[in-house]
Amino acid sequence: MTRPRSRIPGTLTACLFAALTALPVHAEDLTMWVRESAADPGKLMVDLWNSSHDSKITLTAIPDNQMVTKLATSAQSGDSPDLVSFDLIYMPDFMKAGLLTDLTEQLTADPNYATHVQAYKDIATYEGKTYGVGFTPDVSVLAWNKDLYQAAGLDPEKGPTTIAEVVDHARKIRALGGDTYGFWFSGSCPGCNIFVTSPMMVAAGSKMLPRNGEDEALTGDGVKLVLEAYKTMWDEGMIPENAEVDTGANFVSAFASGKIGIAGTGGFLISLMKRENPDFNYGLTLLPGAEPGQVSAFVGGDVVAIPAGGKNEAAAREFVSWVLSDEAQLQGLAKNSILTTRTDLADNEFTKGNEKVLTTAQALSVGYVPWVFHFADMVNSDSSPWITMVQTAIFDGDVDGAIETARAEMLAIASK
Amino acid sequence: MSTRRNALVGLAWLTPTLAFVGFFVLWPMVHLVWLSFTSTSLLGGGQWIGLENYRTAFGDPKFWAAFKFTLLYTVVITPLLMGLGLALALLVSPNTPLRRLTRSVVFLPVVIGLASSSLLWFWLFDQQVGLFNQLLVDLGVIDAPVVWFRRAETGLAAVIISVTWKVVGFGMILIMAGIQSIGTDLFEAARIDGASRSLQVRRIILPLAARSLVMATVISVIGSMLAFDQFYLMTGGGPRGKTFTSVYWIYQSGFVRFDLGYSAALSVILMVVIMAMTVLQLRLQSRRRR
Repeated sequence: MTRPRSRIPGTLTACLFAALTALPVHAEDLTMWVRESAADPGKLMVDLWNSSHDSKITLTAIPDNQMVTKLATSAQSGDSPDLVSFDLIYMPDFMKAGLLTDLTEQLTADPNYATHVQAYKDIATYEGKTYGVGFTPDVSVLAWNKDLYQAAGLDPEKGPTTIAEVVDHARKIRALGGDTYGFWFSGSCPGCNIFVTSPMMVAAGSKMLPRNGEDEALTGDGVKLVLEAYKTMWDEGMIPENAEVDTGANFVSAFASGKIGIAGTGGFLISLMKRENPDFNYGLTLLPGAEPGQVSAFVGGDVVAIPAGGKNEAAAREFVSWVLSDEAQLQGLAKNSILTTRTDLADNEFTKGNEKVLTTAQALSVGYVPWVFHFADMVNSDSSPWITMVQTAIFDGDVDGAIETARAEMLAIASK
Repeated sequence: MSTRRNALVGLAWLTPTLAFVGFFVLWPMVHLVWLSFTSTSLLGGGQWIGLENYRTAFGDPKFWAAFKFTLLYTVVITPLLMGLGLALALLVSPNTPLRRLTRSVVFLPVVIGLASSSLLWFWLFDQQVGLFNQLLVDLGVIDAPVVWFRRAETGLAAVIISVTWKVVGFGMILIMAGIQSIGTDLFEAARIDGASRSLQVRRIILPLAARSLVMATVISVIGSMLAFDQFYLMTGGGPRGKTFTSVYWIYQSGFVRFDLGYSAALSVILMVVIMAMTVLQLRLQSRRRR
């Protein structure tokens, strides 16, 4: 038996092969998951990448509360996306679980990484290895309504610089009466409060979350000071009643309604207001502590990483490097009123003269991000010790008891 | 020979169903029980730890608080759903055009997803923009809009109102099917004998539609014991964790705290409790019939 000879001449086969391999490299097209709440800025970045690169990225928005499950199960089934953008607070748990690819060598050799915001470097490093970079950043700040300040006889160009001033200004604005209130916070939203309330505690000298069972938790005077200030505002009716049950649905809209004097918020407010309500007269300042000059912020947003076992690691690594490039930082982030994640580009052509963006850039440089395992358990869950402490102290009035209970529970979780 | 052949043919016909049930019901159940004896994390890893998860579960005050709340919810909502379902079924069981229309209108919310209906009611109960509050103010029931989810009691009431609106039509249809299966000659005979409507209900409808009533009750109890969406979306477990249901707590353990093994153990406990409750209800009913 002899095998029949191919009817296609060898040269033709070679030409066909060459032609096929010269086609756009669809095999290197990438898949990327992004959490839904950060999908807008993520899409801006991916669109920019796709407009200038041969390998295209297909972006899929994953509901925030499904990201951990999907990533973990995809890793176990060997079906991970090539890239993933997720809430940076999950980084320690993901790194420890071995879900991400080690990028240390690549990033160390990247000159752009040297000026990457320190908070992102810290949160993405575990046992000396780095697993991701900041992708679409956000940071918390304090917003005040200039029109209400003016109406209340306050200086509309000067936001509060201490926690005591927050209370004082809120009281004066509430005195305007009717449905105008001095202050807003989402009382049943753990994530909102770690974002905008905890930085005031940190600014006033507190350490928040324990890294292990032997660490310190909720120490210093800041926690009590801030909780008592909130309790005063709640007791005196400076905060609307529905704040107690708000799970975050009104986190932004309450302030945007124009009926709230002061509220913690994020840098995202700038682009949102520019788009939705460009005439809204408000200012942004750093979240204050007990004394003038004491400030802090929560560095949030998304990090981008490569899931372990990704099928297109080389192209995915190229994207991670590109995220830190001038093009991505300026045309992808700054041009869209989003903060850059490189400190050397914080002051750029797009932020010049924009005091609000410069304030958030400053917040990014002084901000903190807690590097802890079990963040979701300690803070983000609906029954977490963090939100239970906030609610018990402010709405039930037991400040000391709430702090003690939360501290014990946090240490128990951290010791797991 | 023929009997054996028939048996084989019967088995062949049953095979697809057996395979389906085995793959989608029995295997996941076996896997769940196995998981409950491990320390498996959502992020991967874990090992065999025997009964440790069950020991933790029996000493977990938050799980038992959630379980008690679930029981309270079930005890309150089940009679409400069954009572209203029976009343509506009695009202709409005769086949007239207006009654058929009423049936459809009452049944309509059943086809809406529970999550959608919960979100709808969440905003209807809103203090500032909620129509429900406005309606109560206009009717003079309350002086000013209420923050419904500020207290566990009012939060529970709000959820019960929303769920009743959503599912009462299902009970109505089940019970109505039972009523319509009763022969008309019985009612005619009762009427000739001068039996009032209430006497017909007590002596004819309730005894003969009892199977449908029990079935509706069992389904309602199981559904209430597994309540999750409505509390997740409307109360978020608040205030201060007072409206967590058992399934909500299982979700928290597995998907927020990443402790899959422990949440599997809680699921097994809940499954056993629900099975026991269902068997008890069916036994009580069959004893009553005897």
